[in-house]
Order: sequence, then C-alpha cells, then structure tokens
Amino acid sequence: MTLQKFTGALGLLALGLANGCGPTQSSPAKPQSVTTASGVSMIVIPAGSFQMGSDEHEADERPRHEVRLSTFLMDQFEVTHDLFVKAQLPNPSRWQDDSRKPVERVRWREAKLYCNERSLMEGLTPCYDETKPGLPCDFVANGYRLPTEAEWEYAASAGSSRLYSFGDVTKLKANGWFADNAGKRTHVAGTRKPNAWGLHDLYGNVSEWCQDVYDPDYYKSSPADDPLGPADGIADTKRVMKGGSWKASASMCRASFRKGQRTGDTDACFFTDYCGFRCVRRVTAAEVESLLGKSPPEK
Amino acid sequence: MKATQHPKTSALLFGVVLFQALTLQAGNVREELAGSKFSLVHEVYANNNWELFVTSADGKSSANITNTPDVNELYPQASPDGAKICFLVDSGKGRATVRSLWVMNSDGTGRKKVADRARQQCWAPDSQTIAFLPQEYPKFNVTDYYTKGISFHHLPSGKTREHVNTKPLHHLYNISYAPNGKWIVATVHAGMGYRHTNLLIEANGSKVINLGIDGCRPTFSPDGKHIAWGAGDHELAVVPIDIESDNPKLGKKIFQVFDKQNKIYHVDWSPDGRFLSFSRGPNGKGDITKPGTYEAACEIVGVHAKGWDIFAVKVAMGGSVTIGHKPVYDWQVLTRNGNSNKESDWFLPPSK
Repeated sequence: MTLQKFTGALGLLALGLANGCGPTQSSPAKPQSVTTASGVSMIVIPAGSFQMGSDEHEADERPRHEVRLSTFLMDQFEVTHDLFVKAQLPNPSRWQDDSRKPVERVRWREAKLYCNERSLMEGLTPCYDETKPGLPCDFVANGYRLPTEAEWEYAASAGSSRLYSFGDVTKLKANGWFADNAGKRTHVAGTRKPNAWGLHDLYGNVSEWCQDVYDPDYYKSSPADDPLGPADGIADTKRVMKGGSWKASASMCRASFRKGQRTGDTDACFFTDYCGFRCVRRVTAAEVESLLGKSPPEK
Repeated sequence: MKATQHPKTSALLFGVVLFQALTLQAGNVREELAGSKFSLVHEVYANNNWELFVTSADGKSSANITNTPDVNELYPQASPDGAKICFLVDSGKGRATVRSLWVMNSDGTGRKKVADRARQQCWAPDSQTIAFLPQEYPKFNVTDYYTKGISFHHLPSGKTREHVNTKPLHHLYNISYAPNGKWIVATVHAGMGYRHTNLLIEANGSKVINLGIDGCRPTFSPDGKHIAWGAGDHELAVVPIDIESDNPKLGKKIFQVFDKQNKIYHVDWSPDGRFLSFSRGPNGKGDITKPGTYEAACEIVGVHAKGWDIFAVKVAMGGSVTIGHKPVYDWQVLTRNGNSNKESDWFLPPSK
C-alpha cells in the first residue's frame, strides 16, 4: 500500500469501516485524512447511504432517491496547477497567477489523463484505458479516476440532508467561492471552510467533472448501489459537472445541482474557465483499516 | 423609340452584373491552378501510418515522398527556396512517444534528424535556418501548446541555439517567420500571461506584441504584407500588417473563407501570395485505434481526421468565399480521399 496516514481522529468512523458499514446522513463522521505517495491530501469517505437529488428544484434532480456507496478516497482539494504540472501536463488555466489555484479550462479527457498520470506516479493501476476510444474507465482498477456523480454528491453532503452541508445559503460565502464573493476569478484552493468531512471547495471555486454521462432522466432508473451513470452512448456526449464555480449562482452550488457539460474533447481550444476536477480512488474497508493501521501515532 | 426596361428586367440585369463582378473578383480558381507550377506538401494517413505527399496545385497528381510504413511523418514545411522540407516524426507509443524534427530534400531524399522533442517548426527566410518549439516536458502530450521557448537550428553549421528571450516564451504554437526575418508570429494559449491570443515575437530581440486577435495558426504572406489565420473553427481570414514598423498593427479583415458545417484549419499561402490552401473536414476527436494517432480535436497534429481534405481558394481582396456553396468556381478541392489530409504547405519545386 502506498498511502501514508497522517492526521485525523479515528473515532467511530474507523470502527464503522472495519465492520463494513459507515455513517449515513443522520450520523456524520469525523474526517479522516491521508497523504498519498505523490503527496496529495485525500479524505476517507466512509461507506454509507444518502438521499440523492431533490424533489424541490430542477427537473433533472428528480426524484430524490436513496443511494448506497462503498468506501472511497476523495481529494481534499480541487486539483491545483502545482499538481497538474507535477504530472507533466500542459496547464490550460486562464488564471496563472498562483499555482495553488485549481486548474480550469480542463477538458474531460485531460482530467482523466491526469488521473492516470497520478496512478502511474504512485504505482497504481490506471483506471482509464488510453488505447481505446473515449478512454473507458475500469472501476475495478485501484488507480485514480473522476468521481461518479453519486460519490461527489455524497461527499459534498457529508452526512447532511440540507441544500448545503454546512447549513443555509447565508453561510455559503464562508464555505465557498461563487459569483457573490469570488470577484470573477478562481481562488487558492482551500481558502474557504471545509465541509463536515474535511473536503474543501466542493461548493464553488471551479465546477468539477464527474465520470457520468449526463442524462436528465437518469435518476428515474438509477440503481441504488454505487451507480456509475448511464452507459456511454454517443461519442462526445455531455458529462456531469457538480458544485458550481466562481461564476455560479448560489443555487448552482447546491449539492444536488447537476449540469450537463460538453467535454471539450473535440475543441482545439477549450475556453470554459470554470471546468476543474478532483480525483477519487475506490478502496475496500479492509484496505482503509490497513491504512489506518499504518498511521503514525497522533501528536 | 426610347427603350424602357421593366423593373424585373433591371433587377435581373443587375443580378447578372453583380454575379459577373463577383466571378471576376474571385476568379476561376480551378483554371488558374491548372496552369500553376506550384506544389503542396501535406500529411496523409495512408496504410496505417502517417506519410507526406506532394500534390500538384490543381490536385491532379500526387506522390508519396516518404514511403515509410514504420515511420510517422507529420507537419511538413517547405523552405522558401523550395529545396528542402522539414517535418516531424513520431516514434514510440503513448506517453513514451518522441516527436522529433527532421529535414530532407523536397524530393524526399537525404533525411536527417535535427532535434528530439521538437514541435511546429518553420523556416527562416534564408532557407537555412529552422525555428522550432521545444517540448514543455519530456513526457509526450499531443496538446498543441505543449511547448517552452523557441530554438533555431542552422543547417550549414549544424548548430542549435535558443531564442535570446526564450525563457518567458511559453505555450506557443504554430510559429511563422516574417519574410524580413524581423518577426515571428505565433499563437499562445494559457502562457506568458495571456489567456489565448496571437503574438508577434521579435526574432532576435525581446519585444512581444499582442496582435489582439482570437483564433490560431497565423502565417505571413510571402511579401509580408498580410497575415492569414484561422479566425474560428469555420472561418479563415486575411488582414494587412506593416512588419517594417517597430510596433506593427493589424488592419481590418480584407478576405475571409467560411464553411458553415466543416472545420477549416491550417491555412497557408502560395509562394506568389495569390492562393490560400487549408484543411477541411468534419468535427471529431480522431480514431485512436489507428496506429500512430492520438485522441484530441481533429485539427491537432497527430490526430487522425477522417474525411479531411486539402482545399484552395484564390485570395480576392475585399471579398469572401464560402466553401460548399454553388457555383463552385472560387474554390478547389486538391485531395479527395478524405484520408486525414492536413497541414498543407505550398512550394515551388526546384527545376531539375
């Protein structure tokens, strides 16, 4: 195992993971943070269930439905310029004034290539097959990939059933960079409050690519366990983006808000300056227990 | 008797006159190209690899000048004197691919490697120096702006030097030398403090001028008085420029090529400045199952572009040409097989 645990109280979460169960919306857990072999902070997202979507907002968020997810790791921050360049990828970002900012103007395909580069840097098996059209994802591989829409929303909700995990919209300015406070630009990652699970910038800064094909009717037939989104159909179909951005309204930053975004994969120049991402990696409960077992003593 | 004309007749006559005027302005490009001595060198994806072909200006004859089933040749650029062609070679696969710069005689003989991890080269006006863009990082990436700095290779001496101001030159692509040797024009994306624009870069100095135009792939006319570039996916445009000035500025568009459905890219001037060639084809992101190709926008170097062919138009100052409309005398298709014909470059082959 290439991960090194470095922080976080174990508490009930570790016990829950070890027993193959995790917190639900009614029992938010303490954050667990690990640092990967390539130096990236990730949060252990416990297995559990939550209510996905909303019956009270946009049509594509309906119906609200229960989803159960396995344990996974998610980047604590959006992928920054520093990380992108470390992977020897050309930084496409509009704002290059601070390398700690999240990358933007990232095509869906480029986000996947970054995931593979990071997997290779850490000796993991890449999830995306670069020899096949569209870079199909192997969800069984132990490498990095984009989160599914369900994983993203589960992590953003952090055990809460509210529109924003931290409370009502009046607290959004303290918890995210969006149109009302961002000053029409991105900001250094992690400069707003984290959510209850320790994840930063899920609300705003840059919108985040998900793995799923965007289908406004998907929730009507989505499976309950680890949904992967609709099957790939058309070559350059839209993909799901979540989380709002520096130019988004408060409503677009809601955890359940969905946006179908063109991938940009057929554009020589991709100017969509709010498209960023973060990575996830699926891990078993036993693997997490092992990770936690290797952790150094807490100070 | 005084003749009077019916309004409909007048309108008809006016239409005929206008039609003839436009015809004269655009010219019958097919007839004019049929008498041309120029040729075009361009990429073709043939028999599962990239080759370079030389096609006559009328499109009636074409020959494979590389014939290398195991080597992928791309992005040919003919020297101003027509004697040599520099080009790129992709070796290896995936992120281990090495893109290198080569040069050969324009008949395909005398191949010689110039540099590894080099991209999107162009000739200096002396036909002895090749400017190229070093790759940003060692690992391969198909992205067009994956470059850092500018370098020059002098063929007679075999020496390579960096641009005097190479350090801040970042994320440039598609460089083109001004005929007076004073400027290099290039596109920049997410580099040098620019979101995306086209720049004039002093060839032997540190001055950088933002031309303030969107789009990409600018190229100087042979007399240096105009720049043609891709103003968008579906538009090529020509503007005047004064390159003798210390602070050259662009004029207004004086010629445009449109295609409402297909992408049009890779514009290049004929040696006499009378014609433009370009690649044209449908949107797509390539076919990664084909050996030696990558997945990205079809116009990117190394991406297989199904259905793409080379076209030519006559530059009619003050006018425009729309590809695909009828009548069709103001544009000419030079290749017809759709085998990813891209990156055409005109030249006058040396007489034997």
